[in-house]
Amino acid sequence: MTLDTAQRKDGPRSSAQPVSATARDERCPAVGHCVLRVDGLEKSFHRGLPPRRRRVEVLRGASLMVCSGELVGLVGENGSGKSTLMEIVVGMLARDSGQVERLGRIGYCPQVPMLWDKLTVDEHFTLFARAYGLDDDRRERAVADLLAELQFERYRGYRIEELSGGTRQKLNLALALMHEPTLLLLDEPYSGFDWETYLHFWEMAGSRRDAGMGILIVSHFLAERERLDRVYELRDGRTVAA
Amino acid sequence: MSGLVVVGGGFVREQLRAPLTLVLLVAIPAFFVLIFAGVLGEFSRALGGTLPVRSATAISAGWAAAFLSGTLAFFQVSSSRGADRRLAAAGLGAGRVALARIVAALLLGATVSAVAFTTLWLRSGIGHPLHAAVAILAFAAIYIGVGALLGAFVAGPLEGSLLVMLVFALDAFSGPQMTSSGGIGAFTPTLHAANLLIATGGGQGSPSGDWTSVAAVALGSLAVALAAFWFAARTRKA
Repeated sequence: MTLDTAQRKDGPRSSAQPVSATARDERCPAVGHCVLRVDGLEKSFHRGLPPRRRRVEVLRGASLMVCSGELVGLVGENGSGKSTLMEIVVGMLARDSGQVERLGRIGYCPQVPMLWDKLTVDEHFTLFARAYGLDDDRRERAVADLLAELQFERYRGYRIEELSGGTRQKLNLALALMHEPTLLLLDEPYSGFDWETYLHFWEMAGSRRDAGMGILIVSHFLAERERLDRVYELRDGRTVAA
Repeated sequence: MSGLVVVGGGFVREQLRAPLTLVLLVAIPAFFVLIFAGVLGEFSRALGGTLPVRSATAISAGWAAAFLSGTLAFFQVSSSRGADRRLAAAGLGAGRVALARIVAALLLGATVSAVAFTTLWLRSGIGHPLHAAVAILAFAAIYIGVGALLGAFVAGPLEGSLLVMLVFALDAFSGPQMTSSGGIGAFTPTLHAANLLIATGGGQGSPSGDWTSVAAVALGSLAVALAAFWFAARTRKA
């Protein structure tokens, strides 16, 4: 089956078009290789108790692709299934059907920071360094760089419950970046950032994209589309090139 | 192994940094051994049971360890589910997260058991200290399983802690020598551990059959807890 690709921002399509049910034969439009391919993803949830129990279909054949060196956006209304799609790709949620192929190391920044309130910033880095298999030297280098880059060095010894929402979000992002992933999944990573940090975030994302990282970012704002190489929109559970 | 210590140590710190936990670590054993034992004895007499005062005091130390361990295990799962799952998905794996959680739960269980044991010792003395220590630790291990299991399936802190209380109340007030009829007491998970403590309170040792049963139930409960911790942190194949 021949597939459409999502529209690149400099491409010929101007209006939204559906991406076909599978991205199997889709090719990376940029120089690089595919680091994420999602094909015909379906997911539904059961809500409520009988007799009010009902099935809610969230994803109904969503497909997308991310290549190395690409910054790809995923947009959609509230409840359209963006975070569900992300969680399935990461492996935190089971899918009903469809395929997910990932390549290399994955970094995930969830929409709501998933952190331990009583542990410090440094202790979070230590635990995630174990999960990523980083030795002490690599961990310390990565942590020092990220703390400086995101400007929250002074909070290293603070517990999460003592941090502001924006600083928690910085840690949430730093934990996804500390092992220099091949594929970075960001679910509204800048909520709570001040304007300066917000702008700096896009510089960080751009520099990592230029270094070859494949990035999929859930975004809400139309203005951000200019910063993205390609954009998918989730509409009625399916991906649409935006 | 060192990874397990690092992650498990982090999980222990997470629990002990709640100021209320530290207060309850002392207050609950004191309350149970000094006050709850009397209530338990009165309930036993009202229900036609034959629980002696010294045995009620001894068994209260076990209930203190059970209550604290069960509640802490419940909150270990329910309050950290998202972060644990993220850590597992980051590469640690649900199995190692669950192992670290069980190490943390056992360390906390051993701590609350030690506090309960000391309180009992100070209150009434103990005829067979080793028997009492093992029995109190068994209470803690059994309720680690109860708390973790409820935490894996009940997300709400209020609903979950009420369910832990419900299981605890049913278990405590239907235990051995609490009623004349026996009721559901023969099927409660803490039956054999309670028998050990009742015997210890009466200044007696315990038959080897009780030890075997206690070991089997305690190890079974820890296996249930491990499975519950794994279930809460599990990841899916992408």
